[in-house]
Amino acid sequence: MIVNAASGDTWGIPGPTFLRFYLVATAVVAALAVLYRIRLLAGSNTAVAGPLGAQQLAYLNGGPALAVHAALGGLRGSGAIGVGPDRRLLTTGPTPTGLTPLDQAIHWAAHQRSRARDLNQERRVRDALDQLRTDLEQRGMLLSQAQRVAVRRWTRVLAALLTLGVVRLFAGLTNGRPVGYLLLTLFGVLAAVLLLWRVPQTTRAGRAALRDQRRQHAHLSPGSSPAYATYGAAGAAMGVALYGTASLWALDPGFAEQAEVQRQALGGGWSSGSSGTTSSGGGSSCGGGSSCGGGGGCGGGGCGG
Amino acid sequence: MTGPYGVGIGWRPEIAGFVAELPGLRFVEVVAESVPATGPLPPGLAQLRERVVTVVPHGVRLSLGGAEPVDPARVAHLAAVAQRVDAPLVSEHIAFVRAGGLEAGHLLPLPRSREAVDVICANVARAQAELPVPIALEPIAALIDWPDDELDEADFLTEILDRTGALLLLDVANVYANARNRGTDPLALLDRLPLDRVGYAHVAGGSEHGGYYHDTHTDPVPPAVLELVGELCARRRPPALLLERDGGYPPAADLRAELDALATAAGYPAVT
Repeated sequence: MIVNAASGDTWGIPGPTFLRFYLVATAVVAALAVLYRIRLLAGSNTAVAGPLGAQQLAYLNGGPALAVHAALGGLRGSGAIGVGPDRRLLTTGPTPTGLTPLDQAIHWAAHQRSRARDLNQERRVRDALDQLRTDLEQRGMLLSQAQRVAVRRWTRVLAALLTLGVVRLFAGLTNGRPVGYLLLTLFGVLAAVLLLWRVPQTTRAGRAALRDQRRQHAHLSPGSSPAYATYGAAGAAMGVALYGTASLWALDPGFAEQAEVQRQALGGGWSSGSSGTTSSGGGSSCGGGSSCGGGGGCGGGGCGG
Repeated sequence: MTGPYGVGIGWRPEIAGFVAELPGLRFVEVVAESVPATGPLPPGLAQLRERVVTVVPHGVRLSLGGAEPVDPARVAHLAAVAQRVDAPLVSEHIAFVRAGGLEAGHLLPLPRSREAVDVICANVARAQAELPVPIALEPIAALIDWPDDELDEADFLTEILDRTGALLLLDVANVYANARNRGTDPLALLDRLPLDRVGYAHVAGGSEHGGYYHDTHTDPVPPAVLELVGELCARRRPPALLLERDGGYPPAADLRAELDALATAAGYPAVT
């Protein structure tokens, strides 16, 4: 009888025993994953080299696309670039001084009559964007690809446990054993894996820096209808960086329309859901901002990763 | 809660970042209707209060010159805003903005009749009863005179100020505009106004269209208005002068130059 009863257990382990060990194992691994995540997502608060510029903030706020738009805002604000009737950018007047590498790359691309939406494909622009990204990673504001993989280390173990549980579930079902509690547990583990699999682009330090700058530049929020003529090119770049391309439309609707800049408001819902994109590979066009929809359009279905 | 002093600028959300960075600023004016009676102050304004910059709420919708009694809710709002920003005084216009339930949407001049003086004095008294601080009254620019004017501008204003005990908010650009458009001498008006009652003065830009000078608040302050500021200060310098700019905001350097020119004309320290 005893032998018979034991042989009825899936894999020779009684259900309650398995469940007990399984619960402990998943709980421990999930706790490790959470702790590990909290530590890695903190980022660094020690400013490496001075305050963040508009383009760095733009990258933090909305990824490479917004960094490009912030540069466009600055260059347009200083009257260095325009757009032709063929919707291609053009340069107006001499190159301004004090340009960042991204400004220079975009100014050069504008001189080559590039389209605004093609700027991300220009090699010089990409190099400048990579430089921005690297700098932000070194400052602990953005997670590097390696760090993002590392954040998921314990989540992977948890996923493995989930797989084990699922296999056991099917084995149990095949054996005609009760699996109700295991099924419930698996739903919990699945939820934990899904939650933990999402890794934001920005660290907490990065988001704090962004919040801090928004507070300092509240006058640039579209709600104040900022006078960009007064704030100048630097104000225009910062407005786009902190509040999205809606600022570029407010600055110069003719330019924004002609250059086919997508209107996108960033900044309102930042604090609500900041763990936006999952694995959209090196910064999706909507960045870590969870801001799709808020302003009506991260164009081209680039949201959500 | 010190009185307004020196050169100030009208605080507007559009240029809040510019105003916040004026190192010597001690005085701003804010459109009272744009400040909520409860809830957080606009961020830029809260910062200025932390810097102990004097904030004067400037009403534009009270309609003190309206035939009907002034709306108690609007007075209450003005009083609440004055308290919130710890204002030393508030200001409103000698004008009406609504009549018979219709909103004009902008400030309309009163006929300078004795009846109008009675109407406005009654309304000012009603407002004063509820306001925690003194009120300064600002005459407005008018392209035309009413046909039934019984009093001239100086008598009309002096009468109102004497009867209400209110301060005068003298708009130098209005004085210039009125004199210019009527072909009269602005200095003659200055000489007859009770300049000792001036709480502070407004200075704004304007432009000329079709032979008339318009007090637009969206153009640079013309040299003639700055000269008039000099004349005013030579007679009796107001405790404070405020640059009003409501649109067409120029680059920061131009706006700073205007503030500097105003400071120079009035002999006050530069705020930039």
